Amino acid sequence: MNIVWMQTWALLVDAYRELNARKLFWIALVLNALVVAVIGALGIDEKGVTIIVWHLDIQGVTSALFPPEQFYHTLFASFGVGFWLAWISTILALLSTATIFPELVTGGVDTLVSKPISRPRLFLTKFATGLLFTLAQVLVFTTLSFFVLGIRGGVWSIGLFVAVPIMLIFYSYLYCVMAVVGSLTRSVIASVIVTLLFWVFVWVAHLGEQFTLLGETVQRVEIAAIEKRLEQAQTVDGRAPLEVDLSEAKDSLAVWRPIHLSLFALKTALPKASETIQLLNRSLKQVADVPTIDEDEMGDGAVAGRGFLGSKYARRRDVQAAVERDMTARPVWWIVGTSLMFEAALLGFGAWRFSRRDF
Amino acid sequence: MVEADASHALHLTLVDKIYAGGVHALRSIAMRVSKGEIFGLLGPNGAGKSTLVKVVTTIVRPTRVEGTVLGHPVGHIPTLGRIGYLPEHHRFPAYLTGRQCVEFFGAMTGVEKRQRRRRANELLDTVGMLVWADKRIGSYSKGMQQRIGIASAMVNDPELVILDEPTDGVDPVGRREIRDVLLQIRARGTTVFLNSHLLSEIELVCDRVAIMVQGRVAKQGSIEELTRDSHCMRVVFSGASPAWAAEVGGVAAMDRGFHALDFPKASSESVQPILDRLRSEGRTLHSFAETRESLEAVFMREVTDPTSGRARPIGAEAGR
Repeated sequence: MNIVWMQTWALLVDAYRELNARKLFWIALVLNALVVAVIGALGIDEKGVTIIVWHLDIQGVTSALFPPEQFYHTLFASFGVGFWLAWISTILALLSTATIFPELVTGGVDTLVSKPISRPRLFLTKFATGLLFTLAQVLVFTTLSFFVLGIRGGVWSIGLFVAVPIMLIFYSYLYCVMAVVGSLTRSVIASVIVTLLFWVFVWVAHLGEQFTLLGETVQRVEIAAIEKRLEQAQTVDGRAPLEVDLSEAKDSLAVWRPIHLSLFALKTALPKASETIQLLNRSLKQVADVPTIDEDEMGDGAVAGRGFLGSKYARRRDVQAAVERDMTARPVWWIVGTSLMFEAALLGFGAWRFSRRDF
Repeated sequence: MVEADASHALHLTLVDKIYAGGVHALRSIAMRVSKGEIFGLLGPNGAGKSTLVKVVTTIVRPTRVEGTVLGHPVGHIPTLGRIGYLPEHHRFPAYLTGRQCVEFFGAMTGVEKRQRRRRANELLDTVGMLVWADKRIGSYSKGMQQRIGIASAMVNDPELVILDEPTDGVDPVGRREIRDVLLQIRARGTTVFLNSHLLSEIELVCDRVAIMVQGRVAKQGSIEELTRDSHCMRVVFSGASPAWAAEVGGVAAMDRGFHALDFPKASSESVQPILDRLRSEGRTLHSFAETRESLEAVFMREVTDPTSGRARPIGAEAGR
């Protein structure tokens, strides 16, 4: 066997043994199984939601509205992945793997860097083996979910397994920060805190970008709605207030747009954690299918000042659809590609620093 | 640039290391370690011994280096596969068993699976850890971890094995066993580079030694070469020391309660007339023997400041 593969395999097996020796790894694995069991315990039929054999009467929530396939896909994507894997399981993974890099640069580094392996390769291989925790957890979760969906929902959806690479990529955005901070500071606590703060920062940047996108879209929809009315307006008196509103909407758009573009540029440079998770929804083809409460009362005759984000003419449904179109129009290469570029740049810096330092 | 050197396992002509912060840890180090010998590196704490070892094993980046290790420039990554290394403050993963640890380092140096299993068994037996091989390292004593460390350093059948304080934390019986292991390693033709501050250990097993003081090599050579300058002939006799002793180059001394005369760098032949004269003056001769300084005396002289008579300050920082 080639020495590169031999070393990579040895480090991978070593990482598995390390995880195997940690209680948290097994606790997280059991929790994963429990969460899938909870999903499996839920069901839906023509009368309502079921929990094992008990019925819950929730008005309107029946298999007529949510076919079992969609019900379980929603549970899997929203609760299983969107909440459990993306938050709780990720925090457990960060805590479990936080010691890998500080321990590498304090304890076992002498014995490893004195072996015939270049330092960048050692650093990057250690990083890759650190993803093993998440790989194991997501693989177990998805496999169990696959069977639950098959047995309970009657759908054998192999597409669920797309969650494995998606979650691995998502976790790698955070773990690269933890790896670099851990190797620079040699501190487990510092690496956990900085990673969590970075996660919050990325999340806030995402929320800010989404909010300003919404603001910009409201004005775009508003302008389109006003222009449509202007075409239909017959009298000068009828056109005058519309022209005033159009002017105001354009002014407002001129404010929202640069703010949104700035946040979009910032977000482009950062890992897109939320959008990466949402790729799962896209792949399960259910995003726009979930019914939303209709806002028809906000229709064409909406009273000034009561519209969506202060709009008069834009309907919430139209705005949501426009935002949805914008979001789904964002290509996968932009979401994952630019995020991985951030990761590659950070890991490149970490590997460079690791190569330059004395131990 | 030093050309490939076939007769030396380690041939350093110039090594300098200045750490961030300006600590000058190594100053123009030049050193040769012949193949097949046990070479001892001596020095007080902070002399730069571990830094030098770390430069050779690429753990520390030198400020300047000229030299070869096993015929390749220092820092040549593939050559590290032909070196075995036991660091001073190693921390082997507590979750591994002794056997897994040895096999892991075998894989990291490119030893094929079947071979490393066989080598691990042999080495665990050699270091007396076969019975404990399948217990986790976390349950080992310091001495047991040192043995596992030596086995791990040897798993790739290295041509050069570098051991940094291998008997640190080991009891006297364990030290003796480790010394025997070192002799076994040499018997197989492997070069051993032993870094230690235990003079007795070095004196017992090393063919050649270097003494480092404040980042410099103060002395280097075989123990015989290092103590040659202190060679003298000692004559022990009863009665008072003769008044003419200084005239013939004798230095008065006491030995087991008797008067004695030391004749530095003298030969047995050159001292014969003096023995005759002592006898002719009625003195009884008790012994006549060649003496030389111990390695400890040589070491202490090198680490002592001749002006103050006190040990030089610890560390390589002084004298910056």
